[in-house]
Amino acid sequence: MGKGQRAATAYKSTEYISQQRDEDGLITHPFTAAPTSSSSLLGDKKPTFTLVTTYLSYLMLIVFAHIRDFFGKIFYPGQYVQLREQNGFAPMVSDFESLWSRRLYGRIRDCFNRPITGVAGGHVALLERFSRDFNRTFEFTGRLRNVLNLASYNYLGFAQSEGPCADTVEQAMREHGLTQGSSRAEAGRTQLLVEAEETVARFVGAESALIVSMGYATNALSIPALVGKGSLIVSDELNHSSLVSGARLSGAAIRVFRHNSTRDLEKVLRKSISQGQPRTHRPWRKILVVIEGLYSMEGEFCKLPEVLELRRKYGFYLFVDEAHSIGALGPRGRGVCDHFGVDPREVDVLMGTFTKSFGAAGGYIAGSRQLIDYLRLHSHSAVYAEAMSVPVLAQVLSSMRMIMGEDREHALEGQQRLDQLAINSRYFARRLVELGFMTMGDKGSPVIPLLLFNPAKIPAFSRECLERNIAVVVVSYPATPIITGRVRFCISASHTREDLDFALKQIDEIGDLLELKMVKGNDAHMQAALKKLE
Amino acid sequence: MESAANTPLPETGDVSQRGLLRTVWDVSFRIVIRYIKNSYKDDPFRTFLEVCLVGFIIWYMTKQKYNIGTNEVVLTTKEIDELCEDWKPEPLVPELTEFERETLDKAVLIDGPNGIRVKLASGSGKQVLNFASYNFLGFINSPDIEKRAQEMLRKYGVGSCGPPGFYGTLDVHMELEKQLAAFVGHSSAILYSQAFTTTLSVIPCFSKRGDIIVADEGVAFSLQQAIALSRSKVYWYKHNDMADLERVLAEVNAQLAGRKSALPRKFIITEGLFQNTGDITPLDALVELKHKYKYRIILDESLSFGVMGKRGAGLTDHYNLDPHEVDLMIGALNNAIGASGGFCCADKDLVEHQRLSGLGYCFSASMPGILTVAAADALHSLENNPDDYLPAMRENSVHLRTLLRRIQGLQVEGSNESPVVHIRLTPETLVRMKRSGGAWTKTDIDRVLTELTDEAQKDGVLLTRSMFVDEHERLMPNSSIRICVSAAHTKKDIEKCAHAVKSAVSRVTSKKR
Repeated sequence: MGKGQRAATAYKSTEYISQQRDEDGLITHPFTAAPTSSSSLLGDKKPTFTLVTTYLSYLMLIVFAHIRDFFGKIFYPGQYVQLREQNGFAPMVSDFESLWSRRLYGRIRDCFNRPITGVAGGHVALLERFSRDFNRTFEFTGRLRNVLNLASYNYLGFAQSEGPCADTVEQAMREHGLTQGSSRAEAGRTQLLVEAEETVARFVGAESALIVSMGYATNALSIPALVGKGSLIVSDELNHSSLVSGARLSGAAIRVFRHNSTRDLEKVLRKSISQGQPRTHRPWRKILVVIEGLYSMEGEFCKLPEVLELRRKYGFYLFVDEAHSIGALGPRGRGVCDHFGVDPREVDVLMGTFTKSFGAAGGYIAGSRQLIDYLRLHSHSAVYAEAMSVPVLAQVLSSMRMIMGEDREHALEGQQRLDQLAINSRYFARRLVELGFMTMGDKGSPVIPLLLFNPAKIPAFSRECLERNIAVVVVSYPATPIITGRVRFCISASHTREDLDFALKQIDEIGDLLELKMVKGNDAHMQAALKKLE
Repeated sequence: MESAANTPLPETGDVSQRGLLRTVWDVSFRIVIRYIKNSYKDDPFRTFLEVCLVGFIIWYMTKQKYNIGTNEVVLTTKEIDELCEDWKPEPLVPELTEFERETLDKAVLIDGPNGIRVKLASGSGKQVLNFASYNFLGFINSPDIEKRAQEMLRKYGVGSCGPPGFYGTLDVHMELEKQLAAFVGHSSAILYSQAFTTTLSVIPCFSKRGDIIVADEGVAFSLQQAIALSRSKVYWYKHNDMADLERVLAEVNAQLAGRKSALPRKFIITEGLFQNTGDITPLDALVELKHKYKYRIILDESLSFGVMGKRGAGLTDHYNLDPHEVDLMIGALNNAIGASGGFCCADKDLVEHQRLSGLGYCFSASMPGILTVAAADALHSLENNPDDYLPAMRENSVHLRTLLRRIQGLQVEGSNESPVVHIRLTPETLVRMKRSGGAWTKTDIDRVLTELTDEAQKDGVLLTRSMFVDEHERLMPNSSIRICVSAAHTKKDIEKCAHAVKSAVSRVTSKKR
């Protein structure tokens, strides 16, 4: 905690200095002149009282955790056997590591891993469960509970078991079987796979594309093929775990820049390029800047036009992870490039997943033909990992064709879904702000985080929502900074206006109950937030 | 702070207050001076020490933090501009070599379903016998499983639209986990949505920086990557050499004996059935060593699960050992089971730990319901009628090996019962083939092997060279053709395969080059 604070103040002072020294060579952007990032807006209006109580609550939780452990070890030593060295074997999970999961996560385990059955569409059927032993184990009542789903990444509502896409998938399974039992490079390349790759390339506007059977693996197993020793990865501090794993596996040097700050990115770049590799000062072989299109915990878009401007100036390669943005952003659903109106060919590596907007699974890498041909023989996923299964490929193909309007019978449906998603997201975000909640995220983002702060409010919000038949995702430390625990709403095109109004009404009540409405109606902050969403 | 310093003090301040401040300052200053004078008089050396200490503190506070290894050069803005201007990166990816281009252009392209017999869209374009896919029990393209899968589509759709933690856990996931744990005989199981990533998640989840890994040199690439990601201290032992393993274990333990710090976690990591050689790990000997030297075993059964043992439950079944002897058992559902994804069997606590810390579990969508049910169905079939699958697969494996061993100039690898057969030309044959003399490069060998698979394809048998990312493998495995035998192959199929290999070898080796 202390370290984080120090880092924050250190950052503030450097920011101050860099603003003073603009002649330094840092280009000033018309965009960066005004504090548009919602996190910086938030920085001004964090209510002091809430901050103090949040820190105090965590302190209390940790103190209690230690007290319980202390007495637990005296009175119930049996329960702590696995945390001690026994018979010459070191404990598998260290005492300190497991404190968080035993004593803090354990209290709110019922809010996570809630099992479902059927399709995670606009509504979802939860298996009702309860715990007799303080969340250590769960028992099922055998009843199902149909709840409104504000949690799944089903942006365009393609998570369906009926309809044209499902029909295509069934037909494909009849014709092409189920799985390949081999990697793409060996004997897993089928005509369906080739067709899907061509469609993906056309969809994102790249020359060529490679399909990987798992989203996490798309990043973790492809980045090592692009950069290695002697290269540098410059990564946004809030990048997804799969990008971090990929960067680590690659063996390249890693530098981090402040979330969405092109100014900081430029500073890191200038320093890295001018100093070269550590100790030897040899020039870097390549520099790969890794950003995400839509940050899924914040609901914020990357600043693609500014990053591209830097790319033109400094000549690095750009990797954009569109896991959440592809299909969900832009007037034609082609992701963050479409949203900003830039040519996708300016981005060297376009990565995305099919899990979210397309209701499928896995991911893709798209780019120039030379890049993709190289990856087909050198990326770990193409050479070693299983090829994509048939139903998933068919789902990708059919949903993408529908969005592109290539499905003659359902030519308009894709565009309708895109429009519906945009309308739903804006409506929901605007109403939340009007109600006085503190939200994050950019205009038009289908991911809308609402700040809860206090650790006690995090499970309370989730449980209250479940009580009122709404499924939501709450996230807190370590997935977010310690103070900004939040609930994250994922809006879908399959939500109707009634669904959203119902949810808003319930959230309104919960907001009163948990005292979450921290922005008052005539407040300048609310006016600013509303203006941003206009 | 800045603003406070910049604001000038108000001229019309409270005079008496300012006077008081000055008095306090004067008094404290005098006290300090007197203290220094007195102490200098009493003990001049102490004053010297104190001055040194103050100097050290000032130096320590002002020096740059974290300057380990940096030898930064101070540059002017102009110089930085010039350096940035001058810097030219290498191309993002290199051009493909001529052979790589050929490999890519001639890659196998399948039309329609995969299975024992596949229709090719590339090359000859006809129907061929498939000996390239991991389809040991013949579950791929099984009509019953596919019919069930089509029904499940109508219940679960395709994607789960979320990681398991956020409403991505399906009822069928939990059922399959229970079924897997019961089948293996372990306490608990956890599902991952891709087999390769399973190892990549499980190993770094437990083996951290400062822990110790002793691993077989011949392990498959996914394990090499997982070990690298864990950042633990790694010691390698000779492939499947238990004496060498014991030597390494003893050495490591001797090193640790001298250390006072807390005991690190120690793991032996190996594969059940080696993907790169087709060998089987002597698990009984490994378990003895485990207890003798206090190591835990992480066993990758990606290929051996569903293949080894009376019931097909893997290596512990094969050696009749308590499944709990293997602390973390990693299995795959895409090879023998013919579905997709992987799993890890372990004690309940360790499985629960993975649900929070397994990166591939927490940060990726869960396995589609269709594939989960397909895996469960295949597993049921194996559980209920192991004798329909396993004996046939073993007979086929033994039979194929016997036939292949008779072929002149061919080297056949792997343990007798394993359905993974690696073949390559013997070094003598290679020497004889190169009439011009000179050494064989890896590309030359790969090219000959590709010719072999092309020839076999002409005779209606689909084979594949084992593909590797050469520059990333720790120790490059010997190039080979990997033949995968299935229970669904008939005796005739096996003979056809052996015959195709034989004629391919004779054609390729007799060719002038």
